[in-house]
Amino acid sequence: MEQLLNSGIKQIIDEHAEVGPILEAYGIGCVPCSVGTCLLKDIVDIHGLSATQEQALMTKIAKAVYPDRDIVIPLRAKTSTENGTDLTYSPPMKKLVDEHTWIKRLLAQVPNLIRTLDLTAEPGRQLVRDVLDFIRNYADRFHHAKEEDILFKYFDEKLDILQVMLTDHESGRSHVRAIAGAVEKQDAATVSEHLAAYRELLTEHIKKENEILYPWMDKEMSDSQIGQMFAAFSDVDVTFGDGPGKHIAFVETLEALNS
Amino acid sequence: MECGCPGSKMMDRRDEDSGDAPAAAVNSQLRQWPIQLHLISPEAPYYTGADVLLTADCVAYAMGGYHSDYLKGKSIAIACPKLDAGQDIYAAKIRSWLEDAKINTLTVLIMEVPCCGGLLHLAKQALAASSRKVPLKAVVVGLDGEIRSEDWVTD
Repeated sequence: MEQLLNSGIKQIIDEHAEVGPILEAYGIGCVPCSVGTCLLKDIVDIHGLSATQEQALMTKIAKAVYPDRDIVIPLRAKTSTENGTDLTYSPPMKKLVDEHTWIKRLLAQVPNLIRTLDLTAEPGRQLVRDVLDFIRNYADRFHHAKEEDILFKYFDEKLDILQVMLTDHESGRSHVRAIAGAVEKQDAATVSEHLAAYRELLTEHIKKENEILYPWMDKEMSDSQIGQMFAAFSDVDVTFGDGPGKHIAFVETLEALNS
Repeated sequence: MECGCPGSKMMDRRDEDSGDAPAAAVNSQLRQWPIQLHLISPEAPYYTGADVLLTADCVAYAMGGYHSDYLKGKSIAIACPKLDAGQDIYAAKIRSWLEDAKINTLTVLIMEVPCCGGLLHLAKQALAASSRKVPLKAVVVGLDGEIRSEDWVTD
């Protein structure tokens, strides 16, 4: 069992396909993950399952991997805060979650943006440039910079889960570059393709952060680190001034246009 | 029929097993004096940039592991929101921690009895009035010394 716990999740799913649906039943979406090098023990730990849920999950995985063995998984003692409670965040993590809300509201406008896309006229091209401005300056420089330059620095950046997040950030930037180039060429097909891909990527990325990464990080960080991170985020907010407010206003304008 | 304030209600737990005594002497984690909120100066050096515990008087008696689990590495003040007079001074001192001492975090430890909530309310009010914000955590301790809840305050 120890060997199984220390195996990469992709390897386990490749060798025992039935493990994928078992994980999905517990809200652990490793199957479509592009990296998949996380160890099983880390995945079980990071998803904040209750002690009984964790025992049931590990029993099912053990049965799938070792069908001929009768492995008894003991109930692992957990504190009340580790026991599968509702999602709550520390104040700095709550800031990031609140910023996600604005990114998700922008993403919600993407299908309509694609449906009405008209790159033959300057107003249509400018609208896409404005969306890219939000993504580059609010989602990336303002929000992702807090994650990459401050939050992630409290952890070992070689951790698989952080590598997945950083890979997502890079993939997002790649989509943005593709959209920016295609807008000026009035290539509507490429713009639509990469806008849709960006929406899908960020939707899944935000879900992973809100539901798994941030709660796990909150659990791992000391009160003192939470205070330091809050102060550092506040400094970023001051540095950016009213810039984020302008981007939030843009999302509200876009919503009003499409309502 | 028994009624009245839950904070004053008699409870006799002498028959309950209090568990094993610690294997070794427990060291005090207190690193300052004074500690009573009326007596402390919020600008004392041990508050500057510190993680501060504002603890209701009864908490340290109820909790077995107060020193090692909460006090270690932190600065402290104690108060009773039910019996202490001059709580406007308390509010001003908490605000001074935030604005002058520039504390890093504020953790309020209270008992589960309703009157103890006043101390958390005081901290929330001071934070709302302060030009500088810090993370505020609320820890509620049961009469049996167990932690009932431990949450960051984000509203």
